[in-house]
Amino acid sequence: MVELMGRAIEMGWPVLLMLVGLLLYFQASISDPVKKKRASFQTLIGIFCAFLAFIAISNYVDNFEANSGLLPVSLVMITIMTFVMGLYFPNISALMKIGGFMFFVAAALSGYGNWLPQVEGGFPPPVVKLDFQSMSPQQLGDEGEKIIFGGIGQSKTQGAIGKGQCPLCHGFQQGFLSERAPNLFGIPDRATERLKEPNYHMDNAAARNTEQKEAFEGSGTATNAQEYIAESHACPSCFVVTGFGVKGSNDTVSPMPKIHKPPISLTIGEMAAVDTWMYTREGKESPAYDVIATSYEKFIPEADRPAAGGEEEAGGAGGNLLADGSEPYDKLFMKAGCPACHTIPGIEGATGKVGPLLMEGTNAPNRIKDPGYKGKAKSPKEYITESILDPSAYVVKDFPDNQMPKDFGVRLTGGALSKMVDYLAQLKEGQPLPPKE
Amino acid sequence: MGRLFNQMTRGKKKLFAVSALMVMSGLLLLPIFLSVSAVASGGGAPAGGPPADVVAAQKAGEEGEAEKVEMGRDIYYKTEGPVIGEGAPVTADNETFYPRYNFESRVLLWVANQQHLYYGSFVLAVPIFCMCIEFAGMVSKDKAMAKKYDQLAYDFIKISLTAYSLTAILGGILIFTFLTLYPAFFGYLSSIFRPVMHIYALTFVAESATLYIYYYGWDKMREGVLKWVHLSMSVILNVIGTVLMFLANSWIAFMMSPAGVDEQGRYLGNIWHVIHTALWNPLNVHRILGNMAFGGGVVAAYAAYRFLSSKTDEERAHYDWMGYIAMSLGVAFLIPLPFAGYWLMREVYAYRQQMGITLMGGLLAWLFIIQATMIGILFLTTNYYLWQALGRMTGGERFQKYIKYLVFILVVGLLVFITPHTIVMSPAELKAMGGQQHPVLGNYGVMSAKNGGINAIIMTTILSFIWYQRGNRVPTVSWAKFGNIFMGCFFVIAQLNNVWLACYGYFIPANVRIGLSVPQVAGTLSCLLLMTPLNLAMLKNGRQLGPIRWGQIPPRSQYAIIMLATAFTWMMGLMGYIRSSVRLFWHVNEVMRDNSPWAYTHTIGFAANVISFNVLFFWISIMFVFWLGTLGAKKVPVPSPAGQPVPSPQSATGH
Repeated sequence: MVELMGRAIEMGWPVLLMLVGLLLYFQASISDPVKKKRASFQTLIGIFCAFLAFIAISNYVDNFEANSGLLPVSLVMITIMTFVMGLYFPNISALMKIGGFMFFVAAALSGYGNWLPQVEGGFPPPVVKLDFQSMSPQQLGDEGEKIIFGGIGQSKTQGAIGKGQCPLCHGFQQGFLSERAPNLFGIPDRATERLKEPNYHMDNAAARNTEQKEAFEGSGTATNAQEYIAESHACPSCFVVTGFGVKGSNDTVSPMPKIHKPPISLTIGEMAAVDTWMYTREGKESPAYDVIATSYEKFIPEADRPAAGGEEEAGGAGGNLLADGSEPYDKLFMKAGCPACHTIPGIEGATGKVGPLLMEGTNAPNRIKDPGYKGKAKSPKEYITESILDPSAYVVKDFPDNQMPKDFGVRLTGGALSKMVDYLAQLKEGQPLPPKE
Repeated sequence: MGRLFNQMTRGKKKLFAVSALMVMSGLLLLPIFLSVSAVASGGGAPAGGPPADVVAAQKAGEEGEAEKVEMGRDIYYKTEGPVIGEGAPVTADNETFYPRYNFESRVLLWVANQQHLYYGSFVLAVPIFCMCIEFAGMVSKDKAMAKKYDQLAYDFIKISLTAYSLTAILGGILIFTFLTLYPAFFGYLSSIFRPVMHIYALTFVAESATLYIYYYGWDKMREGVLKWVHLSMSVILNVIGTVLMFLANSWIAFMMSPAGVDEQGRYLGNIWHVIHTALWNPLNVHRILGNMAFGGGVVAAYAAYRFLSSKTDEERAHYDWMGYIAMSLGVAFLIPLPFAGYWLMREVYAYRQQMGITLMGGLLAWLFIIQATMIGILFLTTNYYLWQALGRMTGGERFQKYIKYLVFILVVGLLVFITPHTIVMSPAELKAMGGQQHPVLGNYGVMSAKNGGINAIIMTTILSFIWYQRGNRVPTVSWAKFGNIFMGCFFVIAQLNNVWLACYGYFIPANVRIGLSVPQVAGTLSCLLLMTPLNLAMLKNGRQLGPIRWGQIPPRSQYAIIMLATAFTWMMGLMGYIRSSVRLFWHVNEVMRDNSPWAYTHTIGFAANVISFNVLFFWISIMFVFWLGTLGAKKVPVPSPAGQPVPSPQSATGH
C-alpha cells in the first residue's frame, strides 16, 4: 500500500503540488473568513480526491498485466472519489454522482467477471512445416519418437503417448510385458522371421485364413522386412501374430486400427518417421525414406492416403491436452484416442475391440448394481466420469486392468469430459443414436 | 431564404419543396447508385458486365498475351471464379507483420474499435428516433404535444450532431491503429474490399451532408409542406446510415465467415459474395436492434443527467419526459434483441458447429453466464423505474402495496435463471466436485427451470407496465369488470403454466425437456401481445384520476435509467468481445491465421476489465459531449402542459 501511494505521488505530484499551491493562494488572497474557510476545505477535499485518483490509476497500471483481479479496486476508489466530489462541489454534483454510480456499476461487473472461474484460451499450436523426405535418419527418427510418445526422449517415460497412440497396446522396451499387442522391440530383425511363418503365406495371400487377405485387391503380400512393417500398419488383419487376435476370432482379426485411417490418420511421411525410429533406436540402419514410402504405397491405395500436407501441430500451449471440448463429437473422441480400443456406436471409426463396447446408457446402470462394483458413482453419468478418470475403479469382466491410460483427468478439459459423458450416457441398446449436435 | 418562401404562394411552395427534395435526394443517392451498379459488376465495369479485372484477364487470355486464367473455388459458395490478387499473407511473430509499442496491440485495437463502435451506433440510432418522434409530432392533433415532440426530436439530433464529429475522429484513430499495428492484416482486408471502399467513403459524405442539412434546416423547414420535406430527409438520412452500417458489418462478417475467396484467401472477382457471407444478415439485424437499444439508453442517460442538474421545475418536467421516452424506446428494442441473437447463433452453428460450441459450451460459455445475469439486472431495473414512475401519477399509489410481491417473483426468477446446471470446469475442479454437476446446485438449473425463471421475470415486467398504463386511469368500458377478471386469470394461468413446466422438466429426459421452452415462451408472448392491447382497449376514454406530474419523480429513478444505460453499454461491449474472440487464433476464420503474440484468448476477468474500461471511457467522453451541448444556444424547453393526460402508448413514442 505504501509502495502504491509512493507511485501515486510520483505520478501525480505536479497536480498535487498545484492544488497545494492553490490552497496557499486562497489563504493569501481571500479576506472573507467564511469564504476562505470554504475554499480551503474544498481544496483539501480536492487534494484528497486527486490523491485517491492517482492511487487508483497506479493500481490499474501496476496490475493491468500482473493481477487483473485487483483492477476493480481502482474502480471502487474512483467511485468513492467521485461521490466525495459530488458531495462537496455542488456545481458538478450531478455529473460526479452519475460518474460515481457508473464507476460503481462497472466495478461491480468487473468484479463479477474476475470472481468467476478464469479460463484462458491457450496459444494456437504453431504450424510447423515438416518435410520428411529431406530429413536425415536421425531427424526422421526424432519425429517418429514424437509421433509415438509425444516428445523426443519420451520413449522411456511410463505412460508417454503421442499422436500415433501406439503405446496404448504395444510395448517398446526389451522385456516389457505386452499383453494386448506384440512388443515391438527387435521388430526390424523379427519382421524377416515373420515372413517365413507358415500362417503368413508370402506371395500367396489367398491362402491366408484371416478375414482380410490383402490390404486391397491386388496389393499382394510383403516380400521384405520393411514391407512387412508397412503391411502391419496398413492392414493389421492381413496377418495376426498368434495370440493377439480379437478374442474369439481365432487370430483371424486384429484389434488394431489401420494407422492411415481415422482415428489415427498418420500420413505416409509420419509412418516413415515411426518406422525409422524403430530401426535407429536399436542402432540399426534404416531403409531410405523413399524405400519406406514405396513400401506403404504398395499397401495403401492412393485414394486412401491421408492428405500429406506436411503440416503438423507441434506442441503449443495446449501442452499435453488431448481435447478441449470445442471439437465435434467424432473429432473429440478421436483426439482422446478412445476409438483405438473401444467401439462407440455413432462415432466414425470407433470400432476398437481392445476395450468394452461403450453402450453406456445400458451398461452403466447395470455396472453400478453389480455386487463387484466398489466405485462411488450413484448415477450413470457419474459412473462414466469415474471410468474415464479412474479406469481401475471398476474393471469390466473379461477385460484386463491397467490397460487404459489413467491420465485423462489432466489431458481432457472439463468441457471435453462433460461432452463425452453426455454422449456416452445416451447410448442405449435398441434405441436410436443420440444427435451429434 | 425564409422571406422568399413566405412570398411564394402555397402551391408554388409545395412544388418547390417537392422538387427540391427530389433533386437533393437524387444528388445524395447518385454516387451510391453508381457505385452499386459498379459493385454488382465487380467494380468499375459497366453495369451488367463481368468485373473489370475479369474482362482484362479474359482479354489477355484471348489474345494469348497472358497465361491461362487461374480459376479458384469459393470456400463458402463453392462457385468457381478467376483468381484476382494475392492470397492471405502468412504472417509471423515479428515487427514487420506486427509492429508494436510496449503494450498489447490487440487491446489498443480493441479499445479503438469499441469506442468507434459506441459512437457509430449512437449516431446511427438517434436519427431513427428523431424520425419516429418528429413524425409523431407531425401527426399529433394536440398542438402542445406536437411542439413537445418536435422539441424532443431536435434535442436528440443536437446531441447526435456533437457526437458525430467525434465518431469520425474515432474512425480515423481506428484506421491509424489498424495500419500501425496490423498492417498485413489490414492490407489484406483492404485488398479484398477494394471495390467497395470508395462507396463506404461516399456514403459517409452523403450521411454527413444529409445530417447537417437536416439539423440546420430544422427552423427553416418548420411549417407546412416543408416540414414533410424535412421529415423525408430523416428517412434518407436513415437509409444512408443503414447502408453505411451494412458495409461496415460486411468486414466483420467476412472475418468470421469468409466467402468470395478461395482456400488461400485469394479474391475471386465477386464482391457480392465477399459482402454477403453466411453471417452478414443476422449481424445486420442484430446490430440495428442493438444500436437502437443502446441509443435509447444513451439519450435516456443524457436526460437523467439534465434532470439531476436541473434548476427549475419546467426543466425537470421536460427531461423526466425525455428520459421516459428514450428509455421506453431502448427497452422496446431490447425485447426483440434476443430473438435476433438466437437467429445469429443458429446461423453460427449452421456455418461452423465448432464455433457455436466454443460460444455456448466451450471456452466462452462463462461469458454467457455474465450475459444472463445482466439480462436479469436490466429487467429488474426496468421494473424499478416503472414503480418509481407510478409515484408521479395520481392514483398510482393503488398499486404500490403489491410491488413487494413482484419483487419476490423477480428475485426468485433471477436466482433460478442464473443458476447453472453444468459449467465449464478444470479437471481438478471436476474431480473435487465428484462429477460434472455440483452435488447440491447440480439438482437445479436445468433448461426448463431457467426458462421458467426468465419468463416469470418478463411476465412480471409486462404486469408492471400494465399497472403503469393504468396509473392515473380507471377503465370505464361496460365490460371492465369482465376484462379485469379475464386479465387476472390470464396472468395467473400463464404464470402457473410457466412454473409447472419449469418443474415438470426435472422429470423428463433432456431432449424432451428442450421442447418445453415453446409453451413457456408462448405464454409470455401471449401476455405481451394480448394483454397489453386489451389493457389499452379497456383504458380508452377511461376516467382520469389526475395528471401525470412530470418532473415529480425521485432522483433515484434517474439512477435506474443510468444503471440501464451503463448496463446496455457494458453488455454491448461484452457481446462484441464474444463475437470477436470466437475466431480464436484466426484474423480471418480459416483463411488468415493470427500469428501475433496475442493470438490467445484472455481470461474472463481480463476481458471484463477491458470492457469496463471501454464503458467508462465512452461515458466520460460522452459526458464531455453532453456538457459541450449545454454550452451552445439553449432552446427554452416547452413547458409541460399542466394536467397533461398520459398519451396513448400505442405509438412508438409512448408517453
